[in-house]
Amino acid sequence: MEANSVIGTVNKKGQKIVDPEYLFFEAPRQQYFMTGSEVVREAIRRASVDISVAYPITPQSEAAAMVGDLYVEGYVGDYFRGESEFAVMSQCAGASFGGARVFTTTSGPGTLRAYENFPMWAGSRLPILINVMVRGINSPLNIQPDTLELGMILDTGMLIWHAETAQELFDYLLKGYIVAEEPDVHLPIAVVIDGFFVSHTKDMVMIPSADLALTPYNPYRSPVPCMDMEVPPVRMMRDPFVMKSNYISYATHASWQQEIRAAIERSRKHTIRLIGGLIEEENSDADILIVSSGTAVAQGREAIRLLAEEGIRVGIVKVKTLRPFPHEEIRQATKNAKLIFVPEFNVVGWMAREIKAVIPDNHRVIEGPHVAGGMTLPPEVIVEEIKKVLAGKKEVVHG
Amino acid sequence: MRKRVNIRMSGLGGQGVVTSAHVLATAASKEGKHAISNPFFGAEKRMAPAESYVRIAGERIYDRGELVYPDVIMVFHPQVITLGKCYTMPFYSGIKAGGILIINSDEPIPLSDDDLGFLEKQNVPIFTVAATTLAVETAGTELATNMGMLGALMGATRIVAMDAMEAALQDRFGKKYVASGGTATLDEAIKKKFAKKEQLLAKNMETIRKGFDLGAAWAETIKTPMLV
Amino acid sequence: MGKEKIKICEEFYDIMPPEYRELVDSSTYGKEGRGWKDVGVAKELIEEHSLCAGCPESIAFRYVLACLPNPEDTVMVGSTGCTSLVFPHVAVHNIHSLFGNQNAVASGLKRALAHRFPGKVKDVVVLAGDGATVDIGLDMTLQSWFRQEKFLTICFDNELYANTGGQESGLMQKGFVSKMAPAGKKFDKVRLPEIAEESGCHYVATLTVSKPNRVEKAIRQGVLIAREVGPTYIQLYTPCILEIGKQAMEGLQEMRDSEGPNERFAFKEYISEEAKAYLASLEKEKKPAAIPTQG
Repeated sequence: MEANSVIGTVNKKGQKIVDPEYLFFEAPRQQYFMTGSEVVREAIRRASVDISVAYPITPQSEAAAMVGDLYVEGYVGDYFRGESEFAVMSQCAGASFGGARVFTTTSGPGTLRAYENFPMWAGSRLPILINVMVRGINSPLNIQPDTLELGMILDTGMLIWHAETAQELFDYLLKGYIVAEEPDVHLPIAVVIDGFFVSHTKDMVMIPSADLALTPYNPYRSPVPCMDMEVPPVRMMRDPFVMKSNYISYATHASWQQEIRAAIERSRKHTIRLIGGLIEEENSDADILIVSSGTAVAQGREAIRLLAEEGIRVGIVKVKTLRPFPHEEIRQATKNAKLIFVPEFNVVGWMAREIKAVIPDNHRVIEGPHVAGGMTLPPEVIVEEIKKVLAGKKEVVHG
Repeated sequence: MRKRVNIRMSGLGGQGVVTSAHVLATAASKEGKHAISNPFFGAEKRMAPAESYVRIAGERIYDRGELVYPDVIMVFHPQVITLGKCYTMPFYSGIKAGGILIINSDEPIPLSDDDLGFLEKQNVPIFTVAATTLAVETAGTELATNMGMLGALMGATRIVAMDAMEAALQDRFGKKYVASGGTATLDEAIKKKFAKKEQLLAKNMETIRKGFDLGAAWAETIKTPMLV
Repeated sequence: MGKEKIKICEEFYDIMPPEYRELVDSSTYGKEGRGWKDVGVAKELIEEHSLCAGCPESIAFRYVLACLPNPEDTVMVGSTGCTSLVFPHVAVHNIHSLFGNQNAVASGLKRALAHRFPGKVKDVVVLAGDGATVDIGLDMTLQSWFRQEKFLTICFDNELYANTGGQESGLMQKGFVSKMAPAGKKFDKVRLPEIAEESGCHYVATLTVSKPNRVEKAIRQGVLIAREVGPTYIQLYTPCILEIGKQAMEGLQEMRDSEGPNERFAFKEYISEEAKAYLASLEKEKKPAAIPTQG
């Protein structure tokens, strides 16, 4: 049963199932002006989602509620409110084990409450798509877009894509399913946006017709059996290795976890094809570069404009996928840079750490400017930081 | 003329500050300009400080989030100033030289000499407009205060044309719109006021037009060049 | 639907593992009126177990699997604990993910199967220990009942955390001295069956596994009512002989001693009016419940 066999057919809602590449690259698009939350609704309307589970937490509540409207309209198969993010992510797991295409959303404290589920999703090879709308984590209480939580989910075994704009959000939500469900990948994917900066901001976005839908998930292309008793109930093992302290138990766990990381790397080829590379470069031959992801890149772009007016040339490298992490791409793109600024919306600078870990001469990396607690990062602040360093007024702290 | 106009709207929860920002940005977008709008990222509480931001330009806008350096500040309620119900202190913090302050109040709000001195130095004129009174007199409800403020802004700055604004309002109030909790409740309240959507739209437009006239008349009195 | 999905292509028959061949040849998949009497006679759906010798949980497991009305269309959800050592040997699809989230996983699973296979029998059965059901997972246990999720929850109640070495659990008796209750447990055994009734379960049964006929009836009713009416709950006493200082052969007597009329595992059953009407309709149709409505 190939997924392709459904192309050209019409689903229950009357949408035409089209080749994903057609939907992504060829289908005519119309311009809309809408919030990130509305963009989520429009992407999911076209995503052939079977099950979605919701839970309220700012800033993702609006989008999660709109997916409920899609359920009432008949675009989503089933939908309900779970009792906590831990439960929601387990409910998503159950639905995915049962062969459904699953969508959910969360933010900040919800991400952490759900945390135990993410490595389990990856370990169980469940291609769930979660839209993480980052928010600060307690304490003190904070609802603003601080990206600390994102640094904490990097090694859960999920694919992690960080969208900068509403447009990327729309495209990543649909393309994410296609990459995550590839048999040689088959992993959960977190499509991340910065809460409020994208979720609550009205922006222009190009969207194809609502009469078109993504090919549905085919659970029988999974590299592990779908738990629906439609395929033989293979006994997983003769002896459960979990509690045994022997070499087989270590080796099984180690090789299974290695395979998850290998699957993340194997997602590269699909990802590059669909989202055009793991990084995006602009004037990366400049001596000074800004390297970051998400809204920090957007603010960096404005700073570059301001600096250009003063005759200072600065380039930018946007990291689109945090997992797989574009090691080689970043090494290449930054090879001529003398100074690499990493603006971030968190207090620890995890992105700077990630970059420092993969490039030579990493004393070139200037960690910052940082804002935290969800504070806005005006381009003027980035400009000031860069000028300060250039004027030698700020000592570069060598890593 | 500025390459970009940044507008900060400060008011109180329930006054339609967020709606104003989205409607204004939608109108600008309909004119083919680039625009981005967003609310202040806070909890929704009636009568608590509420803020929203609009950025409008002829080129693509990347900048997002709270507006630290606005060209225009619109104060929707005197308490923003008198009770400090504002996310930034003082309420005009960050205003760019040559910007404009638009304050909704029946009477000019007395400001300290320090405040006035700063604004004068920055060449920032103050436009006091009785938008709530206008809303009550024109639309019969203070819920149309935001329309009066939008009209005043349009008259004072010509930032968007009237037909674009009318189209944006049609988008917002003319069809099914998914708003978050508090906003949805207010939507219902205002819909109950008017028998038909057309009537609601008409009253909103009338309030905007009257606000526009007040803004245009004020603009005649100052020597600051237009923003756009 | 029987064994269609598991039958072996003739050419590959000789290279399939012997226990798989046995499953196809002599398991009770699809057999009308399958039940505990098949244990030891037909190919069982549990191959072997990694529990202590004489553990009552092992026979409880065999009864449960022998009594499922439609094992060929049943997916089980387990949790961490002694039961998770057994599930890898079970010949129906089963899911282990985390500790305590079993009723949440089952909620999502049941909805996915209902969405993907409308009009077809797809039973979901949760089987977990008392720590998973009542302590760490209580929230999700109750919420699945509030939401009227249509699956059976079975709790193997051994009144403590056995797999981690005998710590206090919510279902432990008051006063029992154990790890983490060094001065004896300070509060009463949680009354989950009553809570289940109040929380919307349509069938609730409390029993030991000393009487297989009774277990069989409870399991069948639990599955069938969950399939058609709403959530069901069965609490089975499966004493941890190791942690209460019993010998391997003493488990059965321990259960018998605990199910007297005034004992804590005296047989109790609650059936909602709706479920009673459903059972009566089954009786009236004289339709053996073992036959799947569709296949």
